[in-house]
Amino acid sequence: MQKEYDVIVIGAGAIGTSVAYHLAKAGYSTAILERGDIASGSSSHCDAVALICDKLPGIDTKMGQASIDYFAELAAEFEYDFEYVPKGCLYVCETQTEFDAAADYCEKQNKDGYPLRMVDREELCEMEPHIAKDLAGALYTPESGAIAVSPYKLCFAFIHEGRKHGLECYTYCDITKINLNEKTNAVESVETNYGTLKTKRIVNCAGAWAPFVGKLTGLTIPIEPRKGTNLVSEQTERLCNHKILEYGYMLSKFDSIHFKRNVSPLVEEQNIAFNLEYTPSNNLLVGGNRLFRDYDIRSEIETIKAISERALRFFPELADIKCIRAYSGVRPFVIDHLPIVSDVDSIPGYYIAAGHEGDGICFSPITGRFMEQLISNKPTDFDISKLDFSRFSK
Amino acid sequence: MVTELADDMIVCRCEEVTVGEIKNAIHEGARDIVGVKRRTRAGMGLCQGRTCEKLVQQLLVQELHIPPNEAGSSSARPPVRPVTFGELAKGEVI
Repeated sequence: MQKEYDVIVIGAGAIGTSVAYHLAKAGYSTAILERGDIASGSSSHCDAVALICDKLPGIDTKMGQASIDYFAELAAEFEYDFEYVPKGCLYVCETQTEFDAAADYCEKQNKDGYPLRMVDREELCEMEPHIAKDLAGALYTPESGAIAVSPYKLCFAFIHEGRKHGLECYTYCDITKINLNEKTNAVESVETNYGTLKTKRIVNCAGAWAPFVGKLTGLTIPIEPRKGTNLVSEQTERLCNHKILEYGYMLSKFDSIHFKRNVSPLVEEQNIAFNLEYTPSNNLLVGGNRLFRDYDIRSEIETIKAISERALRFFPELADIKCIRAYSGVRPFVIDHLPIVSDVDSIPGYYIAAGHEGDGICFSPITGRFMEQLISNKPTDFDISKLDFSRFSK
Repeated sequence: MVTELADDMIVCRCEEVTVGEIKNAIHEGARDIVGVKRRTRAGMGLCQGRTCEKLVQQLLVQELHIPPNEAGSSSARPPVRPVTFGELAKGEVI
């Protein structure tokens, strides 16, 4: 007998698993299809934080805060532990110029009601005793706006909880064809190595690989892979108390922000932005950068050198701590830095939730909720028309 | 070399992961070395799986009745052995 589902979700990363969980919970018979294992793409090749302070003021921050609030609810409700930890975040400013730029950003966010604040050098050194003593200060985001989760455990958690609501999971699943109705162009079925699965709705949650799924039905989805690298330390003493980023991170993330850092040509060329976090397993994650390298996720020697060099500027004691691994992954980059969470006008029953760049983990819970609301024709929690797929055809 | 291993035997010494935990991960859907690693942390410690990878492979072969090559291997990632961030920054060991 041919299997039939109300919705088929494609991709089992942080976005797909959240979407599938929310749909199953809302009563839809739901299947999730994944080319490899659960969380085998970007969601296991990333870092572990959800922040509001790395977002631009406006909908970007609003989604971040809504999702961070929602994480706390899910952590309390879920049986599967995804290592939710309220963290707090310090955006450290190397110079007075950066401090002033950060203060300006802080003021904008304060106007929107977010409790960020600037801390001076003295307070920074009290909050982070191991940090370099000559920094100008930092932008502090309290725990309410900066948390950590294990990204791949988050995916496993959504699958585990989704199964309680009947979610069916097909891993190592190859999709060969998506069939549309000849007259209406509406979604009819998905052909896979598990047979043909009938459905009236699919959600493309394939992240950096969403364009390949799009091609199966002739859709051009403007997402590009943007590579990042993290270094893992040996298990060590707690070198930092918060998530630490350099303010220059905003520079590497958004091309709309300009200022010149006093860094080596290698750090500049590698587009390095220092960030550091201490994990529940007592390792440090040291990052990071943003580069376009197609889908190549091999760790590059020059990147490793540049990240290490930049990290020592902020935490000199790292010089004697050992690195045990350098891993890389790709972020699903969209030119306007906003994800696509939308239906598709030309194909009835086709939805997209992809293109979250470096915010996929952070936006995972809220994206799942939005997609369930879109599919159920309910109003979304707030206006997400800016995330509409149609923005690319204008 | 297929011998029945006790469930409480430690396979990954760095992360203290047992045979029983690895079998559980396989029954939860892990099909290869990396799948076991993400579900249990086996291979995520200081030695990066140098000691336990063969044993994890043996368990996958045993539980899933697959040839050893299908169990795959951990992704090859630098550095080959632990080196300090200080050495990496200077490029001395690269």
